[in-house]
Amino acid sequence: MAGVVVKGHFPRRRIVQIVFANVTRYLFRGAARNWLRNIGSTAPALSSMTLLLLLSGLVGMVGFALHNLEQAQAAQASLLHVYMRDGVPSTDVDVLWDRLAKDPRVASVTYVTKAEALARASRMPGLPQLAAASDGNPFPASLDVRVRSIDYAAAIDSLVRTDIAVDPQDPTSYDRGAYQRIQAVLFGLAVAGSAFLLLLGFVAVTVTMNSIRAAIHSRRDEVTIMQLVGAPRWMVRGPFVVEGAITGALSGALAGLITFGLAIAAMAAGPASFTQFAPGVTVTVAAVAAALVFATGLGLGSGSSLISVRRHLES
Amino acid sequence: MRPILEFTAVTRAYGPRLALDDVNLALEPGELTFLVGPSGAGKTTLLKLINREIRPTSGEIWVDGIAAHALKASRVSQLRRHVGVVFQDFKLLPRLTAKENVALALQVGDLSISDDEASERAMDALEAVGLGDRGGSFPHQLSGGQQQRVAVARAVVGQPRLLIADEPTGNLDLETSWQMMDLFADIATFGTAVLIATHNVEIVTRLQRRVMTLVQGRLVRDQPAGRTGRMAWLASS
Repeated sequence: MAGVVVKGHFPRRRIVQIVFANVTRYLFRGAARNWLRNIGSTAPALSSMTLLLLLSGLVGMVGFALHNLEQAQAAQASLLHVYMRDGVPSTDVDVLWDRLAKDPRVASVTYVTKAEALARASRMPGLPQLAAASDGNPFPASLDVRVRSIDYAAAIDSLVRTDIAVDPQDPTSYDRGAYQRIQAVLFGLAVAGSAFLLLLGFVAVTVTMNSIRAAIHSRRDEVTIMQLVGAPRWMVRGPFVVEGAITGALSGALAGLITFGLAIAAMAAGPASFTQFAPGVTVTVAAVAAALVFATGLGLGSGSSLISVRRHLES
Repeated sequence: MRPILEFTAVTRAYGPRLALDDVNLALEPGELTFLVGPSGAGKTTLLKLINREIRPTSGEIWVDGIAAHALKASRVSQLRRHVGVVFQDFKLLPRLTAKENVALALQVGDLSISDDEASERAMDALEAVGLGDRGGSFPHQLSGGQQQRVAVARAVVGQPRLLIADEPTGNLDLETSWQMMDLFADIATFGTAVLIATHNVEIVTRLQRRVMTLVQGRLVRDQPAGRTGRMAWLASS
C-alpha cells in the first residue's frame, strides 16, 4: 500500500546506538514507569521484603559472630594444659616434652613455668583474687600442648595423665563434654537460623511473585496487544522481571542500610561488650553484610518475578 | 506463484467438538477474500490459527513460508511480524497516541528502527488511512471508525504479506464500514493478501470478491471473485 520503504545505510555504531536506546526504553524505562504507576500495589511487597531482608541481614551477622565464637572455642579446645606435679625434676619434664613433641598428633608443645602461669592467671577475670588469697603461687607449671585436631585431645589426655611428671590430682585441662556441648548448642542455632532464613526467603519470594502476578493481571490487555503485534518474548516478559528487580533492589538497599546502621550503632554504643558478644563483626563485615543483603534482594526480586512471569504469562 | 497462506487438512478440536474440520485453502498475494459463516462456524478459530494464537490439532498451516503449525512458542513473534491483524475491538494501547501505537508495531519487530524513522513511517501509514492529522490523539479521543483506521495503519505499517481482519466492521456504522472496505481493497492492490472474517452480507455481496464459507467447521464453499453466490450459510444461521 505505501510502496517500498528505502532504508539508508547507517553505520554499525549508529545501529547499535538505536538498538540500545530501544532496548533501554522498552525494557528498563517502561518497567520503571510501570513500577512507579503500580507503587500502590507494590508497596506491601516492598515493605515486607525490606523487613524480611533486614531480619536476614541481622540473622546473618549473628550467625557470623557465632561462627567466630565456635572457631575460638575450637582453638581453645585444641590447646591442652598438662599440669606438672609440684617439685617434679626437670629431666622428667624433658622426657614428657620430647614424647609429646615427637607425637604426630601434636602441633606444638610449650613449657609454662609457675611464674608464667601466675602472670597469665592475673589477666583472667576472677583469678587474681584467688592468687591473692593464697600464701604462695597456687598455679602449677604446665606443658601447653596444641593438638592438630581437637579429635586428638582425648587421646593425648589419656597418654599423659599417668605420666610421672604430671600432677595426679589435676592432670590436664581436658573436659570431655565441654566442646561437644558448645558445638551442639551452636549447631542447633545454625539449624534454627538456616530454617528461619529459608522461611524468610520463601515468604519474600511468595510476596514478590504475588505482586508481579497482580501487575500481570492489571496489564493483561497491554500484554496481549504486545504479543499480537509481534513483540518478542523478552520484550513482553522483561519489563515484569525488571520491575521485580527494582522492588528487590530497593528493599535490599533499604534493608542493607538499616543493617549497616544498626551494626555501627551497636559498635559505637559499647565497643568492649560488642567485641565480646559478636567477635569478628567489624565495620568491614557490616558493610559486606549490607552488600550481601542488597544482592540478595536484587536476586530474590528478579528470580521470583521471573518465576511468576513464567507461571502466569502465556507465550 | 507460491500462496501466502496455505491450509492443508487442518483440523482443530476443542475437546470432543471440532471447531475446524479438514480445512484446505490457499490465498495468493493481492487477493482480498471474505470468510463468512454463521456464529460458531470456526471463522475466529481459523484466524487464530493463522496468527498462531492456537495450534491446529492436525494438518499444516504455512504463512509466507513459515510453518505455523510447527512453530515453537519462542518463535511465534517472528510469524506475527509477517501477519497484520485487525480486531473488531481495535486493541489499541490506551496510553499511547495513534502515532505511537503504529510506531510500536514497527519497533517491536525491528529494534534497529530509530524513533525518527518509526515516527515518519507511522505518519505515512496514518496518512494512508486518512488520519494524517490525528497522529497525536489518544484512542479515547477518536471515534470507533478512526480507532479502526489506526488499527489498520498499525497492521500494515510493517508491510506484511498477509492481513487478517476479524469482524473489522462489527463496531462501525454502515458508512464507516464501506470506507474500511475501500481501505482493505486498496491494501490488496499493493500485493498484500487480505482475509476478512465478517457477518456483513451486504458488503460481501456487493464487493464481489472471493468468498469462503465455513459452516460447522467445514469449508463448504469457495466462491471465486466476480461471482455473486447465494450465502448458503444464511439458511443455517
